Amino acid sequence: METNIFKLFFLLTYTLLCVSCFEDTDFNQANELVVRPEIELDLIYFNLEASKFYDYTNNTEILVIKDTTDLDFLGGNDITDILKGADFFFEFTNSIPRGFNVSFDFLNQADVSKYLMQTTVASGNQDAPVVSYFVQSLDEPQIKELTKAKKVLVTVTIPSSSQDLSGVLNLQSKTTYYLQIE
Amino acid sequence: MIKKFLFIYLFLGISVVVCQNKQLLYNWEVTPQTLLLNPGSIVSGRFHAGVPLGSGFHFNVGSSGVSVFDVFADDGVDINTKITNTISRLSSRDFFTVNQQLDVINFGWLSKGFDPMYFSGGMYQELDVIAYFPKDIALLAWEGNRNYIGKAFDFNHISARADLLTVYHFGVNKQVSKKLTAGVRFKLYSSMVSVSSTRNKGAFKTTLRPGSVNIYEHTVTDLDAEVKTSGFISLDGLEQSQVSKKLLGRALLGGNLGIGFDAGMTYQFDKQLSLTASVLDLGAIFHTKDTERYKASGDYTLDGIELIFPELENDQSTIPYYDNLEDDIVREIPVDTLNTGYTQLRPTKINAALHYNFGRFVGDKGGCNCKNNGTIQKRVSQAGFQYYSIFRPRGLQMAGTLYYTRSFGNTLSIKTTYTLDRYSAKNIGAGMFLNIAGVNLFLAADNLLQMSNLAKANSVSLQIGLNYILN
Repeated sequence: METNIFKLFFLLTYTLLCVSCFEDTDFNQANELVVRPEIELDLIYFNLEASKFYDYTNNTEILVIKDTTDLDFLGGNDITDILKGADFFFEFTNSIPRGFNVSFDFLNQADVSKYLMQTTVASGNQDAPVVSYFVQSLDEPQIKELTKAKKVLVTVTIPSSSQDLSGVLNLQSKTTYYLQIE
Repeated sequence: MIKKFLFIYLFLGISVVVCQNKQLLYNWEVTPQTLLLNPGSIVSGRFHAGVPLGSGFHFNVGSSGVSVFDVFADDGVDINTKITNTISRLSSRDFFTVNQQLDVINFGWLSKGFDPMYFSGGMYQELDVIAYFPKDIALLAWEGNRNYIGKAFDFNHISARADLLTVYHFGVNKQVSKKLTAGVRFKLYSSMVSVSSTRNKGAFKTTLRPGSVNIYEHTVTDLDAEVKTSGFISLDGLEQSQVSKKLLGRALLGGNLGIGFDAGMTYQFDKQLSLTASVLDLGAIFHTKDTERYKASGDYTLDGIELIFPELENDQSTIPYYDNLEDDIVREIPVDTLNTGYTQLRPTKINAALHYNFGRFVGDKGGCNCKNNGTIQKRVSQAGFQYYSIFRPRGLQMAGTLYYTRSFGNTLSIKTTYTLDRYSAKNIGAGMFLNIAGVNLFLAADNLLQMSNLAKANSVSLQIGLNYILN
């Protein structure tokens, strides 16, 4: 009697273990897993008074002004591998009665240009500021160059200036980063 | 890193959890492990000893909202689509758990005399992991913030805890009166490693202007997050063999210690109806050494980098905007690393059950079990209802079980259960107990309906053990 129960016990245990399995699944699908987050992030902004374009001490025009900031996160190895595209969006609001040329030059550590963006800003006036947009979409080969950069040099060029020029050139900008992690 | 994070949460977790509910062993009087679930159980033996490392093994994995099949089904649907759907369907109250216990030593004996009591003790190792699904963080990592402008991603969704410890225990069980049997068990915990991050606060949000100096405002508000670790620092950089040696030392009371107790009772209304109840792991571990805590708090708003076009002399460097930005973030949201100790409550469990005995008597020897001081002799059948709950970081998790136990002489006993909880309405379990000449072997498993395809199961548990019982 006990021998039979013993056999039954192990038969049921064996059956339990045999019937338990993973069916209709394919774990190789894990190799097809791709994470594709899309990140919206502010970039740079400024408010340039018209007075920035005139040297009141020497009574001379200043036609070109520049500034630079590091963008360390662009040049990291981690981001290079996973960044597959980016849309740069720039919005200028101009109340200065002059048009502008604006460039964004992405430089590496040795100040060598890796990617250049240029645009023009329409002339405005203080009563009715004019809004200009500039959008630059970068595909993967372009973004590979961009990610070699460590900083961006912003150059604002005005065709002419005077001591009584007034108004403000405002820039707001953002970037959409398309990441792909495999 | 993000992918690894998602993998851990979505896939390893998916293959598991519900809890530490051992409904198949509870009040199954024939197993010594029953005393670990209710120190106030009625004990029918005079002595028991478990086979070292083999007297009891419990393993449970589960997930409250998703199965392996949901993600890995071979159905032609892109896995990334299935993950997107899964993230969408899960909530931050869904969770993944792994619980494993291994009895290292288990023994007990009946102390005869004027005031008979059953003493039992031993040591077991336990691994307990629970991770709630961090929905907002998973969503942010999986999709980014582009489609969620204006949404607050809540850091409160991060809630997880993992403990590896050993438990030394000694309990006493006494029949207080004809109707009441009560017991208590004292426990000494020795933590090998522990990590937890619970009760986090704060949110990250990207909002569109107006009012902002730039197109967006990225804000972290009211952040208060902490990760507590214990036992990890001293393992850093060690060889595998050294790690094993250190963990073994901690298992043998060399870790961070804690104390706790279990209490339980059995009340027999009459010869057939009884009530049992127990509270387990009412205690805490005091992490005083080898601790490291990482704490981040504060508020910050990021608008991008403002260029001010300073007038510079030749060779003069411009303003270090980016470095200033990093400094601002570190200043406003400092991440402190602390080595102060902390106390962690054990996940307390509560069991309660109503049992009804019926059928002929086991062994059919009459109405008295004289070995156990006149307690009611067992009948071949018992049915009843069991309640189980456990205190988890986000509150109480509960389960209800209907069961039926059938004894075939003193040799074989089977127990079947139907368990209902928030996550499953079709959990059928069964256990078998075999006793030959005092040597007993038990095997119990859950979710038998899913056994033909475990991929579809939300939880799976298995308990097995080998003991010697002298009646």
